[in-house]
Amino acid sequence: MGDKKTVDARGMACPGPIAKLTRAYREAKNGDVIEILATDQGFIPDIKAWIESTGNKLIELKQDGGVIRAVIEVTAKK
Amino acid sequence: MNGEKVLVVGGGAGGLLVSNLLVGDGREVTLVTNNPEHYFQPANLFIAFKGESPESYKRSVESLLDPKVRLILDKLSKLDLGNRTALTERGKRLEYDYVIVAAGARMDYNSLPGMKENFEMFGDYYSSPEAAVKVWNTVSRMKNGKLIIGVPDLIIKCPPAPHKGVFLAAEFFKKEKRDVTVELLYPSPHIYTEAELAKTIESKMKSFSNIEYRTSFLIDSVDKDRKVVIGMNGEEIKYDALVLIPFHKGPEIDVNPAEARDDDGFIKVDKRKLNITSYDDAFAIGDCNNAPTSKTGVAAHLGAFVVWKRINGRNAEYSGRTNCPLITDDEAIFVISDYDHKPVGQRFSRLKRLMEDLFVAMYFPSLRYPRKFEPIFDVYFNATEPNILGEKGW
Ligand SMILES: Cc1cc2nc3c(=O)[nH]c(=O)nc-3n(C[C@H](O)[C@H](O)[C@H](O)COP(=O)(O)OP(=O)(O)OC[C@H]3O[C@@H](n4cnc5c(N)ncnc54)[C@H](O)[C@@H]3O)c2cc1C
Repeated sequence: MGDKKTVDARGMACPGPIAKLTRAYREAKNGDVIEILATDQGFIPDIKAWIESTGNKLIELKQDGGVIRAVIEVTAKK
Repeated sequence: MNGEKVLVVGGGAGGLLVSNLLVGDGREVTLVTNNPEHYFQPANLFIAFKGESPESYKRSVESLLDPKVRLILDKLSKLDLGNRTALTERGKRLEYDYVIVAAGARMDYNSLPGMKENFEMFGDYYSSPEAAVKVWNTVSRMKNGKLIIGVPDLIIKCPPAPHKGVFLAAEFFKKEKRDVTVELLYPSPHIYTEAELAKTIESKMKSFSNIEYRTSFLIDSVDKDRKVVIGMNGEEIKYDALVLIPFHKGPEIDVNPAEARDDDGFIKVDKRKLNITSYDDAFAIGDCNNAPTSKTGVAAHLGAFVVWKRINGRNAEYSGRTNCPLITDDEAIFVISDYDHKPVGQRFSRLKRLMEDLFVAMYFPSLRYPRKFEPIFDVYFNATEPNILGEKGW
């Protein structure tokens, strides 16, 4: 089991939550889990596109009230 | 006057504005800054890709300050929020009724293997005018090959500035008929952090035959001997010249309590009131704070006005407004957003490019005489609020 980190990107519209995810991803290693909280609606298509193009794993993507919660597993680092 | 002793840290856009505003109320303002000169950072692009002289974009801090402001040229090393005291590197102890930290962001080259050596070799157009001259020295001599502009991280000043560099470089090589390709390496899944604007920027990039780009490219390291950028997935891209946008961290000030700063050293503030969390006599404006918005001169400018009004008992708030220009040689768009609105749709236009030139011309006088220039900025900011531009865009 890797480490788990939560990234709070709520209230972040510009630059969006991907900016915070990028910082957390740099620190992470394969097997780690990153949870991202966001309120920017653009984050839903963005995280899907990010997962698709980077080849990491999306474990969960949910919206509860105004808050989007994505959980990813880091799998695509060399 | 109660609360008359004001300490301002940092003589950049935010610090100069707030010092000049507050001293105009009759307060006793002390500005501590570690650089006797202030330079207009966006001009680094003109230095790096047009060979312009750094001297035209520099002024002495003294010339931009109301003479009533007491200027201390020193680095602030310690700030004790509980005791309302501060200490400079040379050992000067200062007391205040209000403190405003406007110390900007610190460039960090150590978060990525190979970045420091690359910076020493090629410079960049974020760190300083001198580093931008280094870029020009490379660009102006390149006859063919590939110039890569790499963005390892997105918490950066003026988020469209990497793109501006790409356009200006491509235009230079095109004009000079040189066989050089400019490639942007970008970490987010679109070529800009916001998908709609990304489309506008992407189609502009496609209209250039010498621009390439990769999205979702996460830079892991640089191997200067083999001249390759290595991605986190192991992919390698070859370059002839490489400009990397440095990581941004909070300023080098030992703040007590330490919890007033986040993991990256940015100063934690209430994103609308801009006071340092749980202190009502301490503020942080501009690039040094952790407000969830872009790091831009506009945020420093608007932040200075919010703090000035709040210290004067008025209920001003910062909306998170951004206004980052993305320019090509002859056209521009502005990335306009706030806490409640994602960037509004934009069309490239020549008029916006002219507006950008006007902003540049107004820059230094507007720092020195903020009250005089405010009506002009007010007209612009009010007319271009994201909820006014709305779906129709601009
Ligand atoms: C290439 C580029 C293009 C840009 N384009 C635009 C644009 O088009 N529009 C826009 O709005 N913004 C733009 N920006 C961003 C803009 O320049 C910054 O956001 C703005 O300068 C921030 O102002 P500031 O007062 O917060 O910090 P700064 O202007 O960086 O000033 C900080 C000051 O604090 C001093 N300091 C730091 N630490 C200490 C210390 N410990 N003690 C004492 N003094 C200290 C520094 O010497 C400096 O003088 C651009 C930036 C770059 C790099």
